[in-house]
Amino acid sequence: MNFDFLLCATRELKRNKRRTMAVFTGYAIAVSLLLVITAVTIFSKVHQTAIIGTTGTHFVTWLPSCGDLSSLTEEELSKLAKGIIPDKCKQNCANCTGCNKKPKDILNEGFVINTNTTRLLTLDLANEINKLPGVRNASPFLMFRFRDPTDNRLFTVGGLFLGHLAVETNSCGTNEIIEGQYLSENSLSKVIVDDGYALNNGLKVGSKVVIAEEEFEIIGVAATGADPVKADFYMLFGEAERVINRRIHNPLEKEANIVLVESVNGTVHKKVMEDVNKLMKNDSILTSGCYYPASKAIGLNEKLLWVFIAVILISSILLTVKLQLAFVVERQRDIAILKAIGWSNNSVIKQIVSESFIVSVAGCVSGVLISLFLLWAVPIEQVLGVEMDIGSPINALSMAAVIIFSVFSGVLSGLVPVLFVLKKHPLEVLRRN
Amino acid sequence: MFVLSAENLSKSFDIRGNQLKIFSDISFAVKPGEVLLISGRSGVGKSTLLGILSGLDRANSGKIIFKDKDLTAMTLNELAELRAMHIGMIFQSFNLIQTWTALENVEAVLMHRGINAAERKKQAIAILEELGLGDRLSNLPAELSVGQQQRVAIARTMVHNPSLILADEPTGDVDEETASEIMTLLMERVKKDNISMIAASHGAFNKKYADRELLLKDGKIFDVTQATI
Ligand SMILES: Nc1ncnc2c1ncn2[C@@H]1O[C@H](COP(=O)(O)OP(=O)(O)OP(=O)(O)O)[C@@H](O)[C@H]1O
Ligand SMILES: [Mg+2]
Repeated sequence: MNFDFLLCATRELKRNKRRTMAVFTGYAIAVSLLLVITAVTIFSKVHQTAIIGTTGTHFVTWLPSCGDLSSLTEEELSKLAKGIIPDKCKQNCANCTGCNKKPKDILNEGFVINTNTTRLLTLDLANEINKLPGVRNASPFLMFRFRDPTDNRLFTVGGLFLGHLAVETNSCGTNEIIEGQYLSENSLSKVIVDDGYALNNGLKVGSKVVIAEEEFEIIGVAATGADPVKADFYMLFGEAERVINRRIHNPLEKEANIVLVESVNGTVHKKVMEDVNKLMKNDSILTSGCYYPASKAIGLNEKLLWVFIAVILISSILLTVKLQLAFVVERQRDIAILKAIGWSNNSVIKQIVSESFIVSVAGCVSGVLISLFLLWAVPIEQVLGVEMDIGSPINALSMAAVIIFSVFSGVLSGLVPVLFVLKKHPLEVLRRN
Repeated sequence: MFVLSAENLSKSFDIRGNQLKIFSDISFAVKPGEVLLISGRSGVGKSTLLGILSGLDRANSGKIIFKDKDLTAMTLNELAELRAMHIGMIFQSFNLIQTWTALENVEAVLMHRGINAAERKKQAIAILEELGLGDRLSNLPAELSVGQQQRVAIARTMVHNPSLILADEPTGDVDEETASEIMTLLMERVKKDNISMIAASHGAFNKKYADRELLLKDGKIFDVTQATI
């Protein structure tokens, strides 16, 4: 292997110190800026992820009821009210739990979530959801709409499990009590009332209400605000089962109509929702908090930044190619002379490309060192106002970017100009002097 | 036996679709050690012909046999190698690389040929010393007089012991005295090593150095040796 071209390349770079320094400095500045920007970006991404990562997030899942009551005739409805399933519903009901547990007052009462009627789900399903990776807690929940026979008033009752995190975040939690107290294990025949319902109906702590012919005492008032699952009354799951059973044809058998879910953190939230939906055979309705748009907005910013960086890199490659083109064109006479004394195109190409390659690699290495120094010397954490170590700009991604950049730019900014110049006839170039 | 023979060479340039005919069907040959002068008015195509003989340009038709090989059938790389090994070129305007020293300019001929750096340097220094430039090795061309620059160019032409020198107006840019100095030096080497030379000139070249003169005129070549020398 002959290394004469390297000798000539280094000599040429030394002879043209100003030109060499200009290109070298360009590379060093571009790379150090790039690395500082990416270091800060990655840092802020880690920071954002940390925030999303500690922000747990929640949703509820349920299956819409299988039959459409409005399509049933009077006769079919009255049969259904007696627990007899009409023929045209049978196909739907085949893969549906709880169709035999139709409410006796089918037009007014039933399993609902807010204003929608739902199917029943097994508690086993809630258990399975609980075991999904990324799920912190899944809690079965019963919600039933009752009619007060004395005044035909409709109200909902929620049956919940104590100590479940998903209840805290999706429905009536301990810290939402504004008067009285929360439910406890021995809260039999006790309920909590939602503050809106309490105001409308003149109820307060100590008032008695009748639910399915059974008297309950109000022990607390809750302000559930914007929780996804809101009922007028909340009671223990077992208590709810008991009163609901009075109003349906066959008693509940370890069933609920809603599952409340709390995922581990914001970053896995989307995945958890997809997994739950799969588990429920893609028929489920998922109601979520406002996590989605926020995460999308963060992702968008980040993407824009990477596009921005890519544009900087590509345009600096183009700029160097253009700059080097001018330098090489200046030397086209020299190149013609070398060809006249017997240098092959390959020798000329090797020399010019090694020149640009050496400057580019040296510039990029200095850029890395400068960025290390900058991140060490400048208190960027203070400038950004955060108490965290930004750390090193050297990571696999940024190093790969720098290496690809320096190689591409080094080779292209030599190759493009030299091929351009070699296309010209050496005699014509020499004649023009 | 010839060092180089040109057979039925034709050359025309395509200028925006129009064929500009320079010469057609010209033939001649050079013997070892022979100095051939190609004369003719400015613009007849002397430089064009030398370019074709050096392999830097191609003829439209015809053959050039150099050391039993046909140049017109060679690849660009083979032609470059041929120049590097066997041909020395010398131009009117010296054409030295301005950022390289005298020594580097001469050494460049020996590069990319697997000759090690020390040996290369030795050979280049030897010829520069022979031409009286032993103390100007590390001067850039701009730091040398015109005559000295021309001597560096001669050293570059000779350093690899070529068997053929192609000289385009070798004395075109210098005064008569310098010209004769240069030619004396060049001829000494040419005679000593039995090198063939083809020189092109429209007049400045002193005909006394030539063994034969070929006149290029109206696209044809005529041997005018008897009449002029
Ligand atoms: N690459 C080219 N394209 C078009 N025309 C060319 C080209 N090279 C040379 N010519 C033309 O060919 C003719 C011969 O040019 P050439 O340089 O060979 O002449 P010359 O005999 O060397 O002249 P001089 O004595 O002035 O050096 C000229 O008319 C020139 O314009
Ligand atoms: Mg000429």
